Amino acid sequence: MDTHDAKKPLPRLTPDNRAFWEGCREHKILLPWCQYCDRPHWPPGPVCPYCFGDDLTWKQSSGRGVISSWVVVHKAWLPAFAADIPYNAVQVELEEGIRLTGNVVGASNKTLRVGLPVEVVFDDVTPEATLPRFKPR
Amino acid sequence: MSASETDASTPKFLADKYAIVGVGETAFMRGQGSGRTTRAMGTQAVRAAIEDAGLEAGDVDGMLSYSFNDSTFSPMIAGDLGIRLNFYMDVYGGGSSTEALVGIAIGVIAAGMCKTVVVFRSMNGFSQVRIGGTGARSAVPVSGDALHNRAYGWQSAGQMFAPSFMRHMHDYGTTAGQVAMVKVIHSQHAANNPKALYRKPVTVDDVLSSRMICKPLHLLDCCVETDNACAIIVTSADRARDCKHTPALIRSVVGRVCKPRIDMHYQHGPISTVAGYYGKDILWPNAGVGPEDIDITGSYDAFTFTTMLQLEDYGFCKKGEGGNYVSDGTMKLGGKRPNNTSGGHLCEGYTHGIAMVIENVRQLRHDVDDSCPVGADGHRQHTYDYSLGGCRQVRDAELTANLGWAMPGTGSAMVMRRG
Repeated sequence: MDTHDAKKPLPRLTPDNRAFWEGCREHKILLPWCQYCDRPHWPPGPVCPYCFGDDLTWKQSSGRGVISSWVVVHKAWLPAFAADIPYNAVQVELEEGIRLTGNVVGASNKTLRVGLPVEVVFDDVTPEATLPRFKPR
Repeated sequence: MSASETDASTPKFLADKYAIVGVGETAFMRGQGSGRTTRAMGTQAVRAAIEDAGLEAGDVDGMLSYSFNDSTFSPMIAGDLGIRLNFYMDVYGGGSSTEALVGIAIGVIAAGMCKTVVVFRSMNGFSQVRIGGTGARSAVPVSGDALHNRAYGWQSAGQMFAPSFMRHMHDYGTTAGQVAMVKVIHSQHAANNPKALYRKPVTVDDVLSSRMICKPLHLLDCCVETDNACAIIVTSADRARDCKHTPALIRSVVGRVCKPRIDMHYQHGPISTVAGYYGKDILWPNAGVGPEDIDITGSYDAFTFTTMLQLEDYGFCKKGEGGNYVSDGTMKLGGKRPNNTSGGHLCEGYTHGIAMVIENVRQLRHDVDDSCPVGADGHRQHTYDYSLGGCRQVRDAELTANLGWAMPGTGSAMVMRRG
């Protein structure tokens, strides 16, 4: 995961997710947040799925969380990732309660476990795209 | 819910009014592949099912199929068999579709739209579009949920399902060796299924020493991709009486029941819980029976652990005890409640769940296609000797449950009864 193969897929910005990915470029995790019931939701959508409210704002996450589950990929399904195996893919439950997909960097795959405290780091993979990844904290 | 809605003592809604009356398939193939189009295989499987039912082309007037845009649409196959359709629909999807489409077939028959419906799945899952391998599926444009996953190299079925199992191990102490027993048992079942692709029994050690695909999944935790087509025929119980075999009456269907979200399915609710947690509250009350009444299960084995998670969440054991359930001998032939007596996706072949329904239909006929001798009445004379290469008919099978899996967040199910 240390190098970005040009063939690796990048996020495609849509009106629904643009604020999140633009936040990443500024090295911030922004979450869609309902002004009525004061809850974040994920993935981004035009309506709060908890109260149907549509007065949403984007609030910055602490970027801290714990691994809620994880795998280590030994057979690349996407050819662009073949050079990276074995690499991990994790689900991180942020302090705000939502779960993001990502990779843990800067640590051996052997140290991965459910409950491992992590914090976000930002990987500027191209001039246009920044991916949030995670490191142990 | 009211008391009557949760009462599991009487069947509701379907009440044995519909049945599966015909089943058919083509050979499960790897290596050189089928050498045939999905159109040709589908046509052959549908013909086999119609002949199995003792019907003719003119008796079938409805058709349903499912695919990942890797197959042939119903009206093409109908035309190739001289069938004029009064109804057809081809839906997107893989595992968990069969049971859902049986429910749709019942609905359109009940609505008077048609009388008899074929459901088929035809896929060159080895030689053309591989679900688990690299190739066409990994090259399709990124869209939808993949936006949040694919950039991290997290995309294949194994990669996306395995966190459920990883979390189950963490939450309940389940081990890789316990779920390896699913492969071991299914391999023993496959040894008694002449049409199974992998008929050699394996051991727990074989599974755990096979190469890692996506930790915690070893190669032998993953099902075998094959080229194959399967078909089943759904009609009313009244019409079923004129068909060739004892009908498999449909007691209850669950179709693509979901966790609160499926787009980011690790997002909502306990990670080690799957859609069957919700499906059980539809399946059992509607069937008028409970898991304790079931003689044979067909719990979808895309991977060893998917069988376990579904059996657990449909209530065949307590939550967290699935590892014990799948490894204590309960689900072996000769055990209390055998699972996937054909060998399932892990050993027989992989056609997105429909072959597991076919197997249970044959079990309910008491005429499963093992190596036992065929008697003068055209039925096999089962020995109930389950040693390797022998019988795989479950004695006096009356009730079966199929538990279909699309992913952790979506599943389907069906209870059938011997007519």
